[in-house]
Amino acid sequence: MRRRAVSVLLAGVMTLGLAAAGLTGCGSAGEGKESIRLMVWSPQNDQSKDNGEWLQTMCEAFADEHPEWDITFVYGIADEASAAGTVSQDAEASADVFMYANDTLTTMTDANALAKFGGKYREQIESMNSEAVLDSLTMDGELYGVPFTTNTWFMYYDKSVYTEEDVKSLDTMLEKGVVSFPFVNSWYLPAFYIGNGCTLFGDGTDESAGVDFGGQKAVDVTDYLIDLESNPNFRIDDLGSGIAGLRDGSINAMFSGSWDANSVKDALGDNMGVAALPTFTLNGEEKQMMSYAGSKAIGVNPNTDNMVAAVELAVFLGSPEAQRAHYEMCGTIPCCTELTEDPEIGADPVVMAQNETFLNTSILQPFVSKMNNCWTPVENMGKGIRNGSITHDNAADQTEQMNEAMNSDGI
Amino acid sequence: MAGNKIHSAKKRRFINNTIVHVILGILAVIWVFPIVWVILTSFRAEKGSYVSTFFPQSFTLDNYAKLFTDTTILNFPQMFMNTLFIAICSCILATFYVLAVSYCLSRLRFKMRKPYMNMAMILGLFPGFMSMVAVYFILKALGMTEGNLIKLALILVYSGGAALSFQIAKGFFDTIPIAVDEAAILDGCTRWQIFTKVTLPLSKPIVIYTVLTSFMSPWLDFIFAKVICRANADQYTIAIGLWRMLEKEYIDSWYTSFAAGAVLISVPIAALFLYMQRYYVDGLSGAVKG
Amino acid sequence: MGIFKKRVNDFPTPYTCTRAIREGGLETKLSMILMGLGNIVHGQKIKGLLYLAVEVAYVVFMAVNGIGFLRLLGSLGTVPQEEYWDETLQVYMYTKGDQSVLILLYGVATVLLTVLMFLAWRGALRSAYKAECLDKEGRHVNNFREDLKSLLHENLHRLLMTPPMFFIFAFTILPLIFMICMAFTNYSKIDNHLMLFDWVGLDNFKALFDSGSILGSTFWSVLGWTLVWAFFATFSNYIFGMIISLMINRKGTRAKGFWRFCFVLSCAVPMFVSLLIMRTMLQPEGAVNVLLRNLGLIAQDASLPFFTDPTWARVTVIIVNIWVGVPYTLLQLTGVLQNIPGELYEAAKVDGANAFQIFTKITLPYMLYVTTPYLIVTFTGNVNNFNVIYLLSGGDPVTDLSSTAGKTDLLVTWLYKLTIDKQYYNIGAVIGILTFIILAVAALLTYRNSKSYKEEGGF
Repeated sequence: MRRRAVSVLLAGVMTLGLAAAGLTGCGSAGEGKESIRLMVWSPQNDQSKDNGEWLQTMCEAFADEHPEWDITFVYGIADEASAAGTVSQDAEASADVFMYANDTLTTMTDANALAKFGGKYREQIESMNSEAVLDSLTMDGELYGVPFTTNTWFMYYDKSVYTEEDVKSLDTMLEKGVVSFPFVNSWYLPAFYIGNGCTLFGDGTDESAGVDFGGQKAVDVTDYLIDLESNPNFRIDDLGSGIAGLRDGSINAMFSGSWDANSVKDALGDNMGVAALPTFTLNGEEKQMMSYAGSKAIGVNPNTDNMVAAVELAVFLGSPEAQRAHYEMCGTIPCCTELTEDPEIGADPVVMAQNETFLNTSILQPFVSKMNNCWTPVENMGKGIRNGSITHDNAADQTEQMNEAMNSDGI
Repeated sequence: MAGNKIHSAKKRRFINNTIVHVILGILAVIWVFPIVWVILTSFRAEKGSYVSTFFPQSFTLDNYAKLFTDTTILNFPQMFMNTLFIAICSCILATFYVLAVSYCLSRLRFKMRKPYMNMAMILGLFPGFMSMVAVYFILKALGMTEGNLIKLALILVYSGGAALSFQIAKGFFDTIPIAVDEAAILDGCTRWQIFTKVTLPLSKPIVIYTVLTSFMSPWLDFIFAKVICRANADQYTIAIGLWRMLEKEYIDSWYTSFAAGAVLISVPIAALFLYMQRYYVDGLSGAVKG
Repeated sequence: MGIFKKRVNDFPTPYTCTRAIREGGLETKLSMILMGLGNIVHGQKIKGLLYLAVEVAYVVFMAVNGIGFLRLLGSLGTVPQEEYWDETLQVYMYTKGDQSVLILLYGVATVLLTVLMFLAWRGALRSAYKAECLDKEGRHVNNFREDLKSLLHENLHRLLMTPPMFFIFAFTILPLIFMICMAFTNYSKIDNHLMLFDWVGLDNFKALFDSGSILGSTFWSVLGWTLVWAFFATFSNYIFGMIISLMINRKGTRAKGFWRFCFVLSCAVPMFVSLLIMRTMLQPEGAVNVLLRNLGLIAQDASLPFFTDPTWARVTVIIVNIWVGVPYTLLQLTGVLQNIPGELYEAAKVDGANAFQIFTKITLPYMLYVTTPYLIVTFTGNVNNFNVIYLLSGGDPVTDLSSTAGKTDLLVTWLYKLTIDKQYYNIGAVIGILTFIILAVAALLTYRNSKSYKEEGGF
């Protein structure tokens, strides 16, 4: 009991001490300069020495541009996908500037962990990016981040098996070689349903519209998927079997994102082909597979003590110069219009495929709160088909169940 | 006639021994098999997480080298040292707690004894991760979620609940005859001296068990460590590091190094056991039978 | 029916609080307000001052923070985060809103602190009364040094139990009460109550007992499987571990250390590594199926449905759990097995019992007697065995698309899905509490009726 009281007191004293140390530490350096401390979180990749410490380089360049501040940078590791969880766990003790994937946007706004951009900064961001990219970070008309790359998946294939004409149709590909697809992963599987006209939350932002993965159009897709799964030239890509198959030649095409580009390059060498998503034939009609697309962005913590500096830094890290360096140092595919139109960067096949997918064969991945309910049912659909528990006989019934589950909180 | 009997008894014993050894051999192979597979994978030259064959096509040491040279993405040596430090500290604390509490419950009589035992039994029924965030905020209130204090926080988390799992050690202490204690009291020993000078030396197997299990938990836990370390990469423990190697960006190029890392973790734990298991041999059979 | 038995006080003492209040002298009565006064008057200066220090620390804490924490506990905070547009700086600025989680946690901590304070207050009162009585009777009153010395002998349990208790309070009991409180709030992602939430009484419990809800029907089926799993996981490990341990430790076995090492080696590899490897190996296209195909044991395009068929999956997780758990059982039981009195075995051998009879008639009863508490703990541990299920099957297979739980999901992994993935903290807490009630009653009844509990301490 006594000890607890003491420790609470101690904790208080310690925080005071730390704060005092921080103040004196910064105060000594400035003559008329404002001393500030900015905590920045990014994936490890952006800070590794192998990649030339992109983040550190950029932050120092930012400090040079702003002599009015004497900035102490504190770096931390949080990749875009998990940043939302880490930041919303305790926003107050999180980075001032961090990177996040746009599908976690509501997770962060729900936790009061994401600041809006407005006025001149918003104009600046809008001038650099295309409408589609900005849409992925806009909620209720407010902009919540500075985009620095798009985020989607596309197709890798073996050029020695397929021609550029072949890869436009999944059916042709299945005839000429072996195709692998992450069938039990709910980021990928909806591509077929969306391709046949199923919708999520209207245009993706209307939560009240709900999910429409039901009716005959969805049942048709389920039937198609059951046939696809039993096609001898089709393999389910799970736990890395796709890339392993490309490596040993047992698989000729797979679906993944830019993070696998280097591995595929190693596996296929000059035969590496990259393309946007193919079409598939459903009841004699050609349908386009549609992936989920989103973006990764730089966000600012509303709890920051230096809002202006944090916003400036975020905009700086998402600027065309920083994106160019990001591409050259870490291979992060840029998304600002200036660079996607750059002939040199645009010629990179991975960049081309990603951009083409983003613009033509994808829908904006919804980030409304209820999207949270849409992952597990689709994944279970894939697994059910794999297990053989979902067949042509019960396809209609099971599809209806999936649709219901996607529209319910599960309580 | 008599000689024949002895002979057949000998023969039977020989057959029994052989059967036992064969069964043990088969079981040992089953148990060691996945370990061998991890070791083989750690030397595998082909990259990637998925293989359809049991044995690698070619071998290499690069996976180990990568762990120690490619430190800018995942700083394995640092994580290893962090974990070792945390493991040693929490092991000492937790072992002390478990043995002390077990001894009290087994040998001393006091008012809170049975309530404590009942409480310990039911406290384990709540799933730990539900309280994870609360634990984080408690540690934050104590100022232990930044910088090197994170290590202290982890030590406290790993050793804090140890005293609730006293059952095995208490069961062991219960089997040591009370006459031993009584004799020591007659000799003028205090309870403390009995605990340290009489009971503990008689309880080596259980001390080993306690030391081993409490030494292991920091190497294995990835849930609490992640919640407490958050973005402080310099404080990461090895389990977080290994877990990160399985993320989609890293898994393909890091999987074989992941296996190498797993092998390296096993080394200190296996070594500790090898070192301590000599105390196991014959235990205390006969030594203190009252 | 041990639980309902009227308690008999085994530790009677004349120095109780009621007597202190009724019969104590002035200094003892004043100790109620000024803790430690009685001790100081009767010569226990340091002890008295320590009590006083505790009181002062508590009062200071309450004055500075505690009262505020308690006051907020009723509403759990009402101030949302506010934003305003700063035209000159061209940025949005934010004010700090209330965070209900913290308010709840600090409130609970303060209440707990007050309970502890009350206990300390009682202790101080009793101690003052005791000092007074002893002083009056002309008997010796312990000075501080003697008090410290008694910690090594008659009060050894205080010395040894206090530090662990402190940590249990901070890292187990406090979070636990916090979690229980969550069940009575609307802390969940539904309607966005993650930052600010309110007390809602028993609403969450109603949802669970409404059999028409998805949640209600899922709960009972998951609970059923959880109990089946815990039973098999516990006893398969227990019996199997004991047999192996006996085989290693029997007289004729050679190289005991080597065998032990073989089995314990699998503990050395982190559990999540070995489980993930098992998972990969048992996939439809995994190493095991490929091997079976190559050996011609199954057809070329067939694969054994380890995690895809409900029954197969359930058996698979139990078997893999044997692989995971037996080394630990081996470590735990070897020590106790070695302590079985040798005379028992010799007597049985003289009577001509065979190995099987010896095991069922002597070893097993003896072990059950000694290790019942341990078995109950293992059982409850298996109910909450998160790692094996989460890493191995992830709850698969799911046969009902609208359900949030799969066929091998335990309550704890289902809870994880509900709280961490879906962020329904309140629902998670409700399920946690119900599981707790069911298990606690069962565990305590078994425990208190077990031989080892009744007879232990009988010496």
